[in-house]
Amino acid sequence: MKLRLAGLWLLLIIFQSQASDQWVFDGRSAVTGAAMDRVYHHLDGSGRKHIAVTEQSVAAVWEDNRSQTPQIYVALKLFSSDSFTDALQVSNGGEAYEPSIDALSNNRFALAFEQDASVFARILSAGVLGEPTRLSQQAASHVSITSFNDQVFASWRERDNGRWFVKVAALRIEDSNRLIVESVQSVEAKGLETALLFPVIAVNAAGLCVAWEDRRAGHTRLLVSHSADMSKPFNTPQSLNEFFSDRNEYDKGNGVTRVSLASFGEDEILAAWMDKRRGGNGYGIFAALGADAGENFGPNEKAHGEEGDRQPHYNPATAGNRAGDFVIAWDDFRRSNSDIWISAYNSDLEWSQDHAPSVASGSGEQSHPSIALDDQGNLHLLWIERSQQDSPSRLWYSLGRPQKP
Amino acid sequence: MLHSLLFRLPLACVVLLSLSVGSLLAAPPEGYRFLSLTEATQLASSENKPMLLYFGRYGCSTCRKMHAEVFNDASLNAKLNDAFVLAYVDTESGDRISLANGERITEMQFASRSRIIGTPTFIFFSPEQKPLFKKAGFQTVAQMNQYGDYILEKHYQSMPLQEFMAGQ
Repeated sequence: MKLRLAGLWLLLIIFQSQASDQWVFDGRSAVTGAAMDRVYHHLDGSGRKHIAVTEQSVAAVWEDNRSQTPQIYVALKLFSSDSFTDALQVSNGGEAYEPSIDALSNNRFALAFEQDASVFARILSAGVLGEPTRLSQQAASHVSITSFNDQVFASWRERDNGRWFVKVAALRIEDSNRLIVESVQSVEAKGLETALLFPVIAVNAAGLCVAWEDRRAGHTRLLVSHSADMSKPFNTPQSLNEFFSDRNEYDKGNGVTRVSLASFGEDEILAAWMDKRRGGNGYGIFAALGADAGENFGPNEKAHGEEGDRQPHYNPATAGNRAGDFVIAWDDFRRSNSDIWISAYNSDLEWSQDHAPSVASGSGEQSHPSIALDDQGNLHLLWIERSQQDSPSRLWYSLGRPQKP
Repeated sequence: MLHSLLFRLPLACVVLLSLSVGSLLAAPPEGYRFLSLTEATQLASSENKPMLLYFGRYGCSTCRKMHAEVFNDASLNAKLNDAFVLAYVDTESGDRISLANGERITEMQFASRSRIIGTPTFIFFSPEQKPLFKKAGFQTVAQMNQYGDYILEKHYQSMPLQEFMAGQ
């Protein structure tokens, strides 16, 4: 394990100049039209994977209630175009929530979402949706989707006979636009009576990594499990977060929630989450870097800077690329209203000072970021804007170009 | 400036509409009739009762301490159970609630929008469902009883809570 973590350190040194760059953002592009009365957009999927990038385009997926019920929508922007396409409805049931997206080859995207207490996946290809594939057998939610060389994987939580399971499916693409379930396995075969929340999955050359919120210990811990491939069972879950429990006799550990995972480099994983170890200051954003597709994680690191140290932070999203870059975005209201904040490693291999892109900060409420990094290091940012917290919303996108020193 | 959504939105406009996959295991104190926010809001409105909204977190140590050392008090139990409608929100839950403006959000998002930074946090509402005051952190039995008396004896109509507490 130490050898692998040393390898990760070396990888970071190699790529540090790129990873430490800040980004200069273009102007913002509207993903959805002007805010409409009583229409609200949400980016609340497991791991906050709502944006993905192919060589030709960027796609955003979200939930909104424009049709009076919550449904899933996707919009696409070719890099040769100045604007996003009209939204395409992805779900077709009574209610749908918490989508997830990842990029495939040939300008295609894999989508997953919850619909009427089941989880589904489908492909967006050339602006056309393939048939949806149901992934779950029992009541299910909190789905996340990822891919590696067009092998698609999804994770979700499922409740069967009163017990909670984290399920993982391997999916293959058939006829270029249909997903077929090849296999499904439970990360832990037995299941739990206590709740499991918001599992998220990442994959790279070293295998699969799944992390989730777990309540079996009497408080919430983030657990992580690895599998080299779907023909093998997942490892015994390990604790991802370091927890502190010395405040009083009732203290089993500080709160943690909403973990996000991203693959970077050849076989590394970035994890980030909300963590209450700072006590009365609310949630901080903490992170860990894992080697071997999350088989071995390093120590927890505080990802946000001192400027916001006494404020709570929310909604962390992660992104990485095969070039070795990785970054975290979140929102907080240190300036009274909510802004988007970004941090990446600096040249000292420490998390940088927090950076608030001007396109996603200032007046109004800018929140719920989702991010993707392309292999050139461009940072693609999607977020929600409202004039006030309870106002109608709209979605914006901006491209951040790495600023070379 | 920290401000609470709860103090801008009448709680009557909060209605729990759906749970995605069953109810998550929240952890209100035993022996109390804590309800979902939906049920509590509807009940408080229909019975014209004051409401206590408890923001907790699964595994929260101060919540556990209050459960063991405060909510175990028989007089407090009787007062809260009999005279108040009790609602519990798990600040890390993915369960969904719906606001009167038509928006559906998770309990966690509701808590963060309401700027609930720590748990436990208690918000007391008048029988007219107007939010009266918010208390965060450990509260003693005496304090909880005084908060209850302040509302049940309708002192909130004539003096601020601080003045009432100073006179006790």
